[in-house]
This record gives sequence, structure tokens and C-alpha cells, in this order.
Amino acid sequence: MSDLITFYSLVKREIWRFSKVAIQTVFAPLISTSLYLIIFSYSFRSREVAEYGIDYIKFIVPGLIMMSLIQNSFANTSSSLIVAKYQGSIVDLLLAPFSYMQLTLGLMIGGIARGLVVGLAIYLIATFFYSGAVYSVGLFILFSFLISGIFSLFGIIAGLWAEKFDHISIFSNFFITPLTFLSGVFYSVKNLPGIWSKVSLFNPVFYMIDMARYAFVGISDAKLSLSITIVGTLFIVLFFLTTYLFKIGYKIKD
Amino acid sequence: MNKAIEIENVNKSYGDVRALEDVNLTIEQGEFFGLLGPNGAGKSTLIGVLGGLVNKDSGQVTVLGNDVVQNYRKTKKSLGIVPQEVVFDPYFNVRETLEIQSGYFGVKDNGERIDEVLDALGLKYKEDTNIRGLSGGMKRRLLIAKALVHDPDIIVLDEPTAGVDVELRKSLWDYVIKLNEQGKTIILTTHYLEEAEQLCDRIAILNKGRVVAVDQKEELIKRIDKKVIEVKLQHKPNNIEELFPTAANIEWTDTNKLKLETTRGNVISLLDKIQNSSLEIVDIDVNSAKLEDVFMKLTSLGGEENE
Repeated sequence: MSDLITFYSLVKREIWRFSKVAIQTVFAPLISTSLYLIIFSYSFRSREVAEYGIDYIKFIVPGLIMMSLIQNSFANTSSSLIVAKYQGSIVDLLLAPFSYMQLTLGLMIGGIARGLVVGLAIYLIATFFYSGAVYSVGLFILFSFLISGIFSLFGIIAGLWAEKFDHISIFSNFFITPLTFLSGVFYSVKNLPGIWSKVSLFNPVFYMIDMARYAFVGISDAKLSLSITIVGTLFIVLFFLTTYLFKIGYKIKD
Repeated sequence: MNKAIEIENVNKSYGDVRALEDVNLTIEQGEFFGLLGPNGAGKSTLIGVLGGLVNKDSGQVTVLGNDVVQNYRKTKKSLGIVPQEVVFDPYFNVRETLEIQSGYFGVKDNGERIDEVLDALGLKYKEDTNIRGLSGGMKRRLLIAKALVHDPDIIVLDEPTAGVDVELRKSLWDYVIKLNEQGKTIILTTHYLEEAEQLCDRIAILNKGRVVAVDQKEELIKRIDKKVIEVKLQHKPNNIEELFPTAANIEWTDTNKLKLETTRGNVISLLDKIQNSSLEIVDIDVNSAKLEDVFMKLTSLGGEENE
């Protein structure tokens, strides 16, 4: 029982933390994504994505939801850790009787929670721009958990590695943003010319956006089984890598 | 009964610097134990090893019979550590911080204990204040509260009174003494040697990563064969050194006091000499060596009295 309280308290702290600064952590991303929706729906209001046979706005909604989910899950765990390291309150986590897996899970769930809150809010805003229909709600929720889980874990690793706030922006500006923008959020990779279509297949975020789009509209560029395998494997590898980093106290223990 | 803490042959290096060198220490349950040493002696590193903040290179450390590496979750529950650095979680107020901290240690609905600790540390009226709004001294009180909130068996205080006003220092020590009387083991590091001398039963002195002495406080002090005679006089005498050739470190103070340092064996003869002199004596005090003298001797010698 006390073990559950220990774990629950970490999850509660992580969610409580981002709720206390909700203007920055929840409402700010809503504004920027809503602007995408307004601009794209106005600019491409009568355009159809030929490969999918659907309106462009319906095509980009799952991508935009996933993009926000990715950015916010990553931001939550990475900032939670870098602030804790900067203020020294990381010792609270180190002195408390958490198992290494509890630390990974607790921080990860905090990141997932923020990702899902922002993702759900964006979906609700998106319903002003299209019918709101989702091909498979269950799969979309499942994939949302998986994808936000991956970027929460990635955020923990970045937070552990980073020694200052600048290091976190290296991750988000030089890895996450380019990989997300080049993953097919705004276009079908089948439309890309020659080699670029093939290069996209090496981008793991492409499979995440693609599987989310499958759950949303029932069509995808890659095989769903391939996407699930790649994304699922990445999740498992990152989960155990993060737990291992906590075990050895990577950059948090002397 | 298990020892509160057993440290065996613990070593830790940072590059070429040996922070801990073959450290051996045993602390009994219920002891008030002092861990003293100059800056960089390895005290905080040793506490870090206890609490899981530092990975030791070799050796074994157990807390109430549990290994700090193999059974780290059990050992962490038994410990309440006040770190030396003032650290804080900027998102929460005082009470929220203590609620979260209680939860981390598996304690739910801990309001009563939180109230007790807040009262004892004079933080009750600040319970709704965000930590960023607390003064340095208040932040330190909160650090102490965090370490106590889960009612640990062993309380480790790493320089807990640095930067804390005299009033709180006294109320803190009253509270810690009460906890010790209830059976809690207290481990204290402090730069205020008078505090250690007043509070601790047994003391270890670390120097350059090595334990250079560990003993009952009185036994440690006995190691210094020193008596200081303070004689308050009406007037400053001439030729002080010639009057008392057997005394060492003769000093005249602004408060008309003559300070003479001697050994235990010579104190009576020196007192006779003072009495039989022509000096106009107002008052006489005889003081024994202090912990500070032991500390200075052992640490300045660089660990010659290694045990």
C-alpha cells in the first residue's frame, strides 16, 4: 500500500506541477495549434488530399494533435527534470524510496497526462473545423498514449543529460521540431519527390504520425503493423534505457 | 539489535581526489552522533553515500541492517536527510511541499504530523506561502521539516543551522533533543563546534576523506592535555613572560585578563605561583580543552592520529 502511495505521489506531483503553470503548459500550445488550424482551413478550404480522398483539414488534424502531444510530453518531463536539477530539488527524488522503474513510470505518466490534455483540447477545437469523426477512437487513444509515452521518456533522457536550459532547446530545436515537421504532419510522404520519400521512412516520427492518421481516418502511407512494430520497439527500448539511467544515476548522482 | 549505521571500508574518488578513504564507522541506535571535519573532509560525500546521492567506489554501508545499495528503498525510508545546500521545488507552497514529501515516503493523510513539524520549526504561519517567497532561513527550516515529516528512525542533519538565526537554532535543537530522547538516532555535521560539543554523545572527525578520530566526546577532549587559566587583574603587570616561565601561550587581553596555557600536571603549581605573586587579582577561571582544540589538532596534523 505504501508503495502505491509513493508512486501515486510522484504522478500527482508531476500533474500538479504543470497544472500550476497551465497558461504556459496547456493554453500556450492551444493558441499556436489553433492558429495552424485557422490558417490551413482558410488557405486550403476546398483542397483535397488525393492519396487519401479526404479534405486537407481532416488530413492534418491527427498530425497536429500528435505534434502537440509530442512537443508537450517532451516539454513536461524535460523541464520538470532540468528545473529540479537547476534548483537542486532533484535530491527529493533521489532521497525518496522510489524504485528506478517507479521514477521512470511516474515522470512518464506526468508527461503523458500533459500531452493528452493538450491533445484532447486541440481535438475539441478542431471539431469547429471539421465534423469531428474519428475512424477508431480506441486505436487513436492507444496510439496517443504510446506516442506521448515515447516523447515523455525522451524528455526524461534529455532532462537527465542536460546541464542547462539551453541543452533542452538543442533537443527540441534540432531533433524534435525537424523530425516532426518532416514526418508528414502537413503532407503525405507519398507526394515527396524521389529520394525524399524514401528518406522519410528513416524518420521514426513519420510512423507515429502515420499510425495516428490511420486511427483517425482509416488510411495510412505505411503498413500499420510496421508502424506499430517500430513505435512499440522504440517505446520499450526508451523505457528500459531511462530506467537504467536512473539506476546508474546518470548525471544526477556523484 | 541492528546498528543504526555501519560503514565498512568505504572509498570514493573524484578523479585523482580521494573524497573517502577506507572509512569505517558504526553508529548505534539512539545515539546523538557528530560528524565533524573541515570543508572538503568528506562529510557530505559520506552522507550522500548513505542517502543514495553518491555512488561509492567500494565498501559496504548498512542502515538498520539493510544494505544501502541492495535494499536502498528500505534504507531510504529509515532516513531523514537534511542536505547542506538550500534546495527547493519552486512550484509549491510549504504545506503542499510537505504533503508531497510525505507521499513520496508512503505516508498518506499526514496532516497531524505536518502540523507538528510546522509548529516545531516555526513555519506554521508560512504554510500557504510559495517557497520562492521564503527567506533563506525559512527555506532551511523547510528542508528540516521535509526530512522529519515521514518520522524517520535516523535523522541526518548536514549543517542544518548554517544561516539560521539564534532563536530558531535553539528551538531546533530543543526539538532534535526531544526526538533523540524518543529514541531517534541523530547524525549531525556542523561548523559550530560548540553545538557538537553540547549535543553529541560520540564524535567522529574526518580529515581529507579519512576518519582521524572517533570516540566519546569526553574521551576526545581528554586527548588534549591543556588547561587555560584566565586571571582578571587590576593592572597589566610588567614582564609577564618572566613571571610565569612554565606557561605557554601567554596572552594579555583588552578586558584586563591574563591568559596562561599549561598542562594538567602543571596547573596546581601555576595557580600557586599566581596566588603568591604580587599581582592584584580580581577573578580566576580555569578551563579545560575544548572540542575545538581537538578538532584543530587532528585536522591540522592531517590525520596523524588515524584510528
